[in-house]
Order: sequence, then structure tokens, then C-alpha cells
Amino acid sequence: MRLISSKWKFSKLEQFFLLRYINAPKRNLMRFSFVFMVSGIVLSVGILSAGLNLFEGYEKSLKDVLLGSFPHISLQDANSEYFSKERADQIIQKLNKYPQIASVTPSISYAVMASNGDRVRGASLNAYDFSSGSSFPYSQYITQGSHRVNNGEAVIGKYLAKELGKGIGDSINVFYPRFDRISAMGLFSSERNFRIVGIYSSGYYENDRSHIICSLSDAEALLNINPSFSRLELRLDSEYIESASVLANAIQSDLGIDIVAYPWSIFSAGLLKLVAMEKWLIFIIFSFLVLIAGINVISAVTTIILDKKNEIAVLKTLGAKPKEVKGLIALQVGLVGFFAIIAGQVFGAGLSILVEKQGFYRLKGDVYFIDTLTATISPLNQFVIFAVAAVLVAVCIAYPLKQIDKMQIMDLLRNR
Amino acid sequence: MQCLAGYSLSKRYIDSDQQIQVLTDATLEVNESDLICITGQSGCGKSTLLHILGLLDSYDFGRVLVRGKEISSSMADAPKIRNSEIGFVFQFHYLVEDLTAKENVALPMIIAGQSSSIAYRHAIDLLSKLGLSDRQNRYPNQLSGGEQQRVSLARALINSPAIVLADEPTGNLDPKHSAEVWDMILKLNRERGQAFVIVTHDHKSAKLASLTYNLADGKLNLIDHDTNPSGVISS
Repeated sequence: MRLISSKWKFSKLEQFFLLRYINAPKRNLMRFSFVFMVSGIVLSVGILSAGLNLFEGYEKSLKDVLLGSFPHISLQDANSEYFSKERADQIIQKLNKYPQIASVTPSISYAVMASNGDRVRGASLNAYDFSSGSSFPYSQYITQGSHRVNNGEAVIGKYLAKELGKGIGDSINVFYPRFDRISAMGLFSSERNFRIVGIYSSGYYENDRSHIICSLSDAEALLNINPSFSRLELRLDSEYIESASVLANAIQSDLGIDIVAYPWSIFSAGLLKLVAMEKWLIFIIFSFLVLIAGINVISAVTTIILDKKNEIAVLKTLGAKPKEVKGLIALQVGLVGFFAIIAGQVFGAGLSILVEKQGFYRLKGDVYFIDTLTATISPLNQFVIFAVAAVLVAVCIAYPLKQIDKMQIMDLLRNR
Repeated sequence: MQCLAGYSLSKRYIDSDQQIQVLTDATLEVNESDLICITGQSGCGKSTLLHILGLLDSYDFGRVLVRGKEISSSMADAPKIRNSEIGFVFQFHYLVEDLTAKENVALPMIIAGQSSSIAYRHAIDLLSKLGLSDRQNRYPNQLSGGEQQRVSLARALINSPAIVLADEPTGNLDPKHSAEVWDMILKLNRERGQAFVIVTHDHKSAKLASLTYNLADGKLNLIDHDTNPSGVISS
């Protein structure tokens, strides 16, 4: 077997001992002196791995829900709250030349109030065209009830329904305070009653707490506007989502200054960057746990050196170079460390899956945007964890091995 | 032909402000097929002399020659010479506990850069010559004291060294096992012409050697067994 590392080739002696360790692991690797070292590495790498898996899961879930429940690019009129239908059609015609765009959905979006008797909640009215047969872009989040909304009907967010104490088949009142009609009694509001036909649950807490989805004609009647749209919602093919801002700039240049194009990253990139930064911050902090576990590695190596003083003396007597003797111990502890790191990563994966599956703790949606804990085991993260843990363990092995250079054969033999 | 020699060797230890002169002008020449024993009182410096000759320890003055080439323990090629030209047997067997008898014997050959398979072949051959063919896969703790020392002897011989230095090889054994080891040494010396320098307390066994020296006051003195059977020193 030819074992060659990138920096140096194993000597015959090192190859011999390496094969010996691999062929007889019970005798060579499963020693009591390794118990605390292995426990320390498994625990620290496990916690590091679980922490990163959960943060990765959180980052991915948040990104998925953000990209799934918001338009990838929003087009709005720079001078007015609404597009006319004709203007919208013209823009849609112009957007046909962009193959990156998967769908263009005109919509009306406005802040309103929803009530059930004395219970009043702020809400976001989102109206789409359900009559033309075009698909509703967020239909995957309607988890209960109908995916089609007729006039007089609405789909409302899961938490809004809960807060108002309503369910499918019930009705809610939606108010829109009209600033253009002020009476002696205060603001005049237009009001409309909707029958709930579906529940919207995207996992993004703010949307689930505020969304009311209805037809365009109901929204026009409530808001007292002519047939028009407040924005055009563009959804992109998945491979172009990350480059939405580049495409938004191109569309902006194409459509002129009367239209403003907002890519999703304007609203969400900062949040995602913050989460990513927190993830790596957690990684750095938890890496210190591995460093602390490294003290056990130093202790294990020192114990082995003391245990094997006679063997070190004999090997040196028989002509082995100090580098080779160090290599033998480094290989033995290194192999144990290698398996301990892998075991730690497996333990971390198990721990993160356990946290994901448990039912006694849920994220607070109003704080963390999403309310479910998910774990994602990313190969890149696992590689980084392995590399960092391996480097720390290697340093902790190499440090105490230096004393072998100073060990004189005679001192070792005399102090038997 | 001379295989090992030490001329005018001096060694002094400093122990808590006290100087201990261990060797003073000690000279020893070893030729091929010699079987030399060194006796002396405990702490007189026998082991130190052996370690200096074996390039394990340094000396203050003098010269050590291995096959006519001057060398000391601090020289870069000392480990290589220890591996190829000198075999060691210690009072305590110093076998590697996690290796079998065969693997322990093969170690010097593997250190020399030989492949494991060739080293094993030589090791098995040597073990069978030393009557240990059925013990080759046993670990040191599964062997008797005499067997451990014979394995240690086989390890010293595997690279066909010019000389084997043995430091009280039977010092830790009962008379029966001690006799086994001495028989083996004498056989190897007689049949293979293997040179030995043996440090021992055992005057009776020392008489079996072709030459016996006594180390006293840091100097080596030749003992004539014919004229001095009780081991009285002559200079």
C-alpha cells in the first residue's frame, strides 16, 4: 500500500504502524486514555455541527419562504399608486422579451383593517385576478380550503384567522379608512364583508398574520378605485432569482423612469445577510468548544508519551528518527481524532434532527419571522466543520509531540 | 577483523554539584566472533560503557570506532549505524507491547526501510531458529520472561549486525530462563560467529566468554580465568 501525503511520504515504519492501527483498532485505538479526548471531540463537534445545521436550516427556510411568498421583482408606477389596466398590458407586452421571467401577475396590495365584532386587527389586502384562469402564484401556501377566490370571498392568513377567531365558512369585515372623505365623526371608511374560503399559511409569520387575499373587483370596490393595479409581481425562473437585482436594473432601463423595479433583495437581502453572519458567528463561538476539547487531546498525547517512554526509547535505539516516532503517535491519536470528529458530525446531525422533530419548543414567529425549526445538513458546512476541527486537533496533537525531540534515549531507559 | 572499539573513553556525570567520574581511560576492542563479558559492581559504569559503545550516550573524551569508522551518538548517521551495525538486548526486554513477537522482531528491518513482508519472513526464520516459531503471533504479555528475552535477542539479530550489545540480558530472569538465554547466545556466537559484548553480574556465566573484563574505578581490566578463576582483577 502506497501512502503518500501532499507534504511528505510516510516512511515504511509509519506505514507499518498505520496498517497495524487500522487492522487492530481495538488494541491500538480503543484505549482508556482516549475516552475523555473522544468524548470532548464528539460533544464539541456535535454541538458545533448541530448549531450550524439548525442555522443553515433557518437561513434556508427563511430564504425559501421569502422567495416563495414575495414577488422576485415588483414593478410600481413612480408617479401614482396605481397602474391603469392599459398601462399594465403595455408593460407586460414589453416584459415578454425576458426569458428569465416565469410569470407576471398584476395585483392590488393595500393596508386595511379586519374585524370580528370588537376584535380589530391590521391586515394587508392582496387582490389578484382569479377570473381569467391565470394561476395564483402563491397557491401552494393555501393549506386549507379553496385555491380559487370568487367575488365576496377571501383567503386569510392562519394567524389572522386565529386572532379573529374565524375559520373556513365564517365571514369577516374588512375596513379601509378613506382619507378623501372626512366627516364630523372622523374618517369615513368603506367596508366589505368577505366569506372565508381558505387559510393561507406560508410559514412567514408576518404574512400569515396579516394576509387577506381577495378578487380584484372586491378590492377595487373596497378601495373605491377604477380597474387598475398597484403593482406587477414578477416571478423568475429559479436559476435567475439570485441575479434579480441585475434583471431589475435592465427592466428599469427598458421601461423608463416612470416605472420603478424593486428586486426582492432590496427588502430581504439585508435580513439574509444578517442571518448568514449570525450563522458564522455561532460557528466561530462553537469552534472554541473544539479548542477546549483540544486540551483533552493535549492531555491524551502527553499521557501516551509518558506511557510509551520505553517504546520511544527502544524505537530510537533501533534507529528510528524522532520525526518517525512523532509520526507514529500522531497517526495513532490522529486516527482516533479523525473518527471522533466524524462521530461528532453524526451526533450533531442526530441532535439537529431531534431538535427539528421535537414538539415542545417552537420559534416565536414575531421575533424570528418563521415559526418552525428546520435543520439542513449542508455538505459544505460539514466539510468546513471537519476541516476546522481537524486543524485544531492536529495542532493539539503536534504541540505536545515536540517533547519527543528533547527526549534522550538514556534518560528514558534510566528512568524505567 | 575489528568490528567495534572504544579507546580511552572518559565519562563524568554531574549530579547536584557533585562530579561522578564513571569511566576513566577505558579501552575495549571487539573483533568478529568475540564473546566479551564485562563485570563489575553495581553503579561502576558498565551500562554507561555499553551505551557509549552502542552510540546511545555521549562521552567526554576518547574515540568510538564502528568497523573502523569513528562515530559518536551526536552524529547524524548514528541512528542508521545503530540500526544496521549494532544489536541491543536490555535487562528489561523493552518489546513494543502492542506488537506481536514477529512484528517486534521485524521492527529494525522495517526501520531500515525494508518492506513488512520481507521483514516478517526474516523474523519468522529467526524466531524458529531461536525455538519460538509457535510464539510468533503472541503479544509480549503472552510470553514467559525467557521467551521475551529471546524475542528481544531475535530483534537484535535481524539486521545481521556486526555486534550485539547486551546489558544484563538475564538479570531479570530465573535460573532456568537465564540458562536458556545464555545457551542461545553461546550457540549464536559459535555457529554464526556473532560478536557479543555482554554486561553481567553473573561471574559464572561470564566465564563462558572468550574474554572477560572487570570495570573498576572507571577502567577496564582483563580477567584471566585460567590463572584467576575467582575473578580477581589483573590490569
